[in-house]
Amino acid sequence: MKRFIVLGSSFLVLVGSVVVTAHSANKEPRTTNNEQQTTPFRPEAGKFPPLEKAHAYRGELVFVDHANRRGSIRVQGSGMFFRNDPHPFALLPYGIVSYHGAPADLRDIPLGTVLHVRAFLPPDPKISAVPVLPVDNKSKDANHNRGTGIAPAENHVLLLEDEPSHCQRECLVWKLKEVDVTRGREGMIVATREPKQGSDAKATEEKMTFDAATRAWRGRERLSIEELIAEDAWPAEGKKSLGGQAVLLGITWRPTPDGIFTRFHISDIWLDDAAMQRAARSQTETHKAFIRSRWMAAWIDAVEYGKFGRATITATLFGGMDDSLYADFKKGTSATMNAVENNLKHTHGAYGPWHMASRGTLLDVTKAPGNAPLGSSGIQIQFETDLIIEGIRPGRVVRVRPGNWPQVQVPREEYLDNNTAEERFPSPAIFPRY
Amino acid sequence: MKRFLVRGSLFFVVVGASIATAHAANKEQRTKNQEQESAPFRPEAWKFPPLEKAKAYTGQLAFVDHANRRGSIRVSGGELFHSTAPQPFAMLPYGMARYHGAPADLRDIPLGTMLHGRFYLPPDPDSSSVPVISRGDVTNPAENHAVLLEDEPTFCLREGKVWKLKEVELLKDNKQGMIVASREPKDGGEGKESEQRMTIDAATCIWRGREKLGFEDLIAEGLWPAEGKKSLGGLTVYLGITWKPAGTWERRVGNRLHISDIWLDETAMQRATQHQIKVHRELIRTRWMPAFVDAVEYGKFGEATVTATLFGGMDPALYADFKEGVGGQMAVTDANLKHSEGWVSHSHMAIKGPVLDVTKQDKEVPAGSSGITIRMKVDLIVEGIRPGKIVRIRPMNWPDDAVPREEYTGGKKEERFPTPAIFPKY
Repeated sequence: MKRFIVLGSSFLVLVGSVVVTAHSANKEPRTTNNEQQTTPFRPEAGKFPPLEKAHAYRGELVFVDHANRRGSIRVQGSGMFFRNDPHPFALLPYGIVSYHGAPADLRDIPLGTVLHVRAFLPPDPKISAVPVLPVDNKSKDANHNRGTGIAPAENHVLLLEDEPSHCQRECLVWKLKEVDVTRGREGMIVATREPKQGSDAKATEEKMTFDAATRAWRGRERLSIEELIAEDAWPAEGKKSLGGQAVLLGITWRPTPDGIFTRFHISDIWLDDAAMQRAARSQTETHKAFIRSRWMAAWIDAVEYGKFGRATITATLFGGMDDSLYADFKKGTSATMNAVENNLKHTHGAYGPWHMASRGTLLDVTKAPGNAPLGSSGIQIQFETDLIIEGIRPGRVVRVRPGNWPQVQVPREEYLDNNTAEERFPSPAIFPRY
Repeated sequence: MKRFLVRGSLFFVVVGASIATAHAANKEQRTKNQEQESAPFRPEAWKFPPLEKAKAYTGQLAFVDHANRRGSIRVSGGELFHSTAPQPFAMLPYGMARYHGAPADLRDIPLGTMLHGRFYLPPDPDSSSVPVISRGDVTNPAENHAVLLEDEPTFCLREGKVWKLKEVELLKDNKQGMIVASREPKDGGEGKESEQRMTIDAATCIWRGREKLGFEDLIAEGLWPAEGKKSLGGLTVYLGITWKPAGTWERRVGNRLHISDIWLDETAMQRATQHQIKVHRELIRTRWMPAFVDAVEYGKFGEATVTATLFGGMDPALYADFKEGVGGQMAVTDANLKHSEGWVSHSHMAIKGPVLDVTKQDKEVPAGSSGITIRMKVDLIVEGIRPGKIVRIRPMNWPDDAVPREEYTGGKKEERFPTPAIFPKY
């Protein structure tokens, strides 16, 4: 995955240009804004949107409604972070969550975690599960010293990742420069985030707090700050140079001392690769068990109808999962396919999701060459069923279970009963208006 | 804390008596029902309610709105756990959450955790932040205001219980298995419970001293078999328990639970407890200690002496900071413990003054209370600090760094009294 241009950044570049006249500068932003208003980019059903069209931001996870794949994030802006209203977001059906460098569900991420976000405008504002905002909201000043960018209209998320996931995907590490310990239990760390392989560019130093609850991970061990002090790795009081020690950090936010309005807090320090790999493995296993019981989400690309309810369905599996899950989709094996909504809830479940699901055989499994767009696995399946059900139509979302995955009943909040409109299209009214 | 009778259990005993005549049984049943309907127990605003009046039930944490101290629990006891709809609950202002044997905030408890709870009817149904249930049942109890929520290891530590592992069975792929275990008194004797079969999987965390292990590590060490069964000889552990989908409509497995964590030794459990104590201590130091206002003695020109009882269940180190003679600050909050002010900082409108004295109650302290009463003299009393209302207090050696937006109300009605309408109707 490559870095990308933030939507609208050309506008900011133009504004920043000092060589243009005031007249032409005024004219240019209006033109750009008009363009945005006339042709804002929205993802379409059945198509994975290009990552370079996504808006990037970062913030603290404040609220989670995991059953509806939505929540709120306090978005980092240019002002007083603590004043920022939690900003509602919804995961796109193919939206990917990463935690500790592994696939995750929203329920796996502790509240308070600082996340990196790539998001789009709502694909269909009429059925958005979160409030719909003016398309240019990210460039508006929120007033009251909160700054711009804290409530972007791009609130439908393609990628949500915690700090270690972000660093590993981007091949970055944190280099610890200095620790300053107070009262043997809390303090400040100065660190830089920079390419793992090194770089000639000078990285910007960031100061972050830690406290007695900060965890250090070394191999199999979970250590406390007191233990790092007892080992003389850190001082009991005062400053010590850490010499650019390469680590990965878990980052949260706490009320900040010293009148500083935006400073982040270190919840976890992974001191070596083995510790990080163990964390990733644990999260991978959590998510594998989750997907095996809820089934793999996919998009319907095409349906070829046969006689007496028979059909051959072509579907693309969503991306971001562990490879071993995709490996279970094999040509010639049995499978079950159930209709789901955009929040990936099964449409039936009181008797188990397979009760009303279409059953059949995987006729073919193909992997598209090259890199798949983010959100897609690039794996397409052809599935033949003798009785196609409503909801399996091109552009709709399904969940698919290879025959060797467990046949279990999912909990009540993860399936629809009687297909009520309120459950299919959850209201954005649950989010408080601050 | 002692065990207590579940409210209404006498009613079921009466119904179950087979020696009474149908007429007498019906009459008895009506009488009991009438008693319940005419005088249901509700906590009062500024009184810590007696624990024996609480209803006990267990369930799975399915949703959390930590800023409003409420959430949903899938309550155990129904025939099919999976299709049991999550039931909303609210923490009482003095309600205590505990996790890994330590004080906790709702935000600290992972979704999916099985919890033991003690609940009451809403103290004031009109301002309840969760739906008021007129006729409850086993999985939808009317008692939905919690005084105590605790995860499995906390429950065991409080009750002096442990889990004894009898047998482990791992499947061929090394990714899942089953454990047979029973919960029993740590010191032996009466109270051993029947054996339970619970699932484990490759995501189950096993804690040993400083180490966090997976069961592949135990297999590599030869402690667990790579495949098949092995007796564990009654190994004493603490368990973290969740629920994961298991079984089908036709192939039922009896609402079987899942093991998320195994603490293999006391050191490992104590380390988990110590960590959670630190997490919660930092939370309370930045959000301040909640308390009930017992009395206000008004002086001249806005001066007043406020007597308040600190809420219970916190780390003793926090209470130790309340000392006679130290400076303090007191801020107005609501039933959800949100600060009423916070736009500048929650300390901006908080009143200041010295702590005149600190007294500790000698007799048995009710759940929810610390038993510690402080008197503070303030030079400018503010609205909201009245007997029966809730405040948050800091000794001046605690921080006054601004709390986040969702943790103060600015006095807005919708934020002071959050609507129960956010909860889905299943």
